[in-house]
Amino acid sequence: MKVESRVPETHRLRHAVAFHDRSEDQVRRAVALARAAVGRGERLALAVPPAVESAVREALGDKDFVALTVPHGANGGSGQTTAALRARELRALVQGGGTHTGVTVLSAHDPGLDGVDGGYWTELDAALNVALGDLPVDLVCLYPGFPLHLEVLEGARVNHPLLVEGDGFRDNPSHRCPVEVLRDRDPSTPLVLGPPDVVHRYNSWQLHEVRAMVAQLAPALGFDPVRSEDLVLAVNEVATNAVEHGSPQAEIHLWATSGGLVCEVHDSGDLHEPLPGLVAPHPADPRGRGVWIARQLCDLLHVWRDGRGTHVRLHATP
Amino acid sequence: MDVRTAEDMRAGDHACAVPVSDEGLWELTSRFLARGLSVGEKVVYFDDGTSERVLDRLTEDRMPVAGALRSGQLQVVPADVTRGAFRSPVADVRSLLHSYVDGSVAQGWSGLRMTGQLSYGAGSPGGVPLSDYDRALDEVVVERGLTALCLYDHTRYTDAQIEHMRGVHREELDAPAAYDDGLLRITQTGRNSARLAGEADHSNRPMIHRIIGEALDRALRAADSDTDIELNLASLRFLDVAGAVALVHAAEEFPSMHRLVLSDVRPAVLRVLDRCGAPFAAQLVVREARAHGAGGGS
Repeated sequence: MKVESRVPETHRLRHAVAFHDRSEDQVRRAVALARAAVGRGERLALAVPPAVESAVREALGDKDFVALTVPHGANGGSGQTTAALRARELRALVQGGGTHTGVTVLSAHDPGLDGVDGGYWTELDAALNVALGDLPVDLVCLYPGFPLHLEVLEGARVNHPLLVEGDGFRDNPSHRCPVEVLRDRDPSTPLVLGPPDVVHRYNSWQLHEVRAMVAQLAPALGFDPVRSEDLVLAVNEVATNAVEHGSPQAEIHLWATSGGLVCEVHDSGDLHEPLPGLVAPHPADPRGRGVWIARQLCDLLHVWRDGRGTHVRLHATP
Repeated sequence: MDVRTAEDMRAGDHACAVPVSDEGLWELTSRFLARGLSVGEKVVYFDDGTSERVLDRLTEDRMPVAGALRSGQLQVVPADVTRGAFRSPVADVRSLLHSYVDGSVAQGWSGLRMTGQLSYGAGSPGGVPLSDYDRALDEVVVERGLTALCLYDHTRYTDAQIEHMRGVHREELDAPAAYDDGLLRITQTGRNSARLAGEADHSNRPMIHRIIGEALDRALRAADSDTDIELNLASLRFLDVAGAVALVHAAEEFPSMHRLVLSDVRPAVLRVLDRCGAPFAAQLVVREARAHGAGGGS
């Protein structure tokens, strides 16, 4: 079978950054960019703080724009999870078509999502480069020139292939590819959780035990039968990856919470791909589909590496 | 010792079987019970926590379970009654069996066939060895012409118990499988068809590929053979992503005249196949399982 998925260069992601001095400048730049995009007949999508969104709404009057989901709560700290979600929403938007000439996405830095060091934004932009790579959208990110966390500025400088200049873009000489950007960073370890309800060591021949544990927990947490089966599949794929590509033995931790199921899978292997499962694999590629599907089925799927191995946390709500 | 299959058993037959896995146990039980349902016999299953899986398997085998339960042709004896029998004197159990046979004939059924999960008796809870009850059963089989299958699976019986009970039976049934690892069971159902039961994951993934390859090879060698390779997935409860991708790829690599047909696919497995590109593979045919459950084999 021959499947052609090469997207012409002109119809792929254009990811640009604009820096501003003060928060008023952020609002002003956002409104100007939004006006320009709508003026060009493009579909506009926003992932911006509430104040910026209301300013744009005021400026555009009844002109249409789409507000993208902004992460919050337990799932707020994972840039790769936000990128996967954004890819899903934007793919639907692009495929929705309509009479628009293109899609422009405005994203603006929100210090509320910085976490402990601002690393969320670095991971988000690196992951967006991967996840949105084949989508014909212009993604313009507004970042402060003087953020609280220097990491935010440094990440924005290297992650964006383009800089906003006047009405157009120019190449960013500091741009580096996602693998390079993430290789030099500390692991994006999520906040440590309390003691798990279940700890289980397993190997390739015990994956059915992992599935049985999830299948048993899920209905009690409010997952309906279909969602339970999907959750079993998602956990199975992450657990399989650990013993197939990581180490012969892996460990799974489960937390049964009022907000759904949290699961971590730890192996002692070294993951080569820093952000697995962000793009649908080519149909002819037999590997790499499991984590991609798991990302579609979970509210959070965060992968990180450290000296002890590769770790995945996933969280699913009923 | 004769070796026959569950379908071959007739009135007056009393055989044992030693399934290698739970999937093998459900398969044998269902085949034995289904034969009785088809020939108008009263069919009795002595439950001990296993009837749900047996009834599921009967439904997957397209037997009209709900209707048979409603009409009384199929009867599930509750676990407490099953266990209670093994705390009773052998004479009482003999009377109980007589009453079952006489009752079913009085109701107009052509005979009685019975099996069940009788491992509780292996521990001799009433101080009576399981083989004593089996001897009583054998006498009733001869006197009244019922059909009985005693199942000794490795999960619920020790090797010593199995060997002992094997020794007291005249006949043992065979239930060959192309593959059975305790998690996934593959049985050959025809020259170009196989049935998968259980769970397919990373641990047994290569087997599915092998079975498809072998079936295709046979089909290609036989010029008059059907061009469809059929895998019945009615009892496949889990298929992982790589397994689904393997099925899709296998179909794509088929010679253009041949198709891979997946039949009776359960909803969860169907969703995995859909997510792995099954709808776009021209030589892959996916047929959903008919809705079942409360409605039985409707």
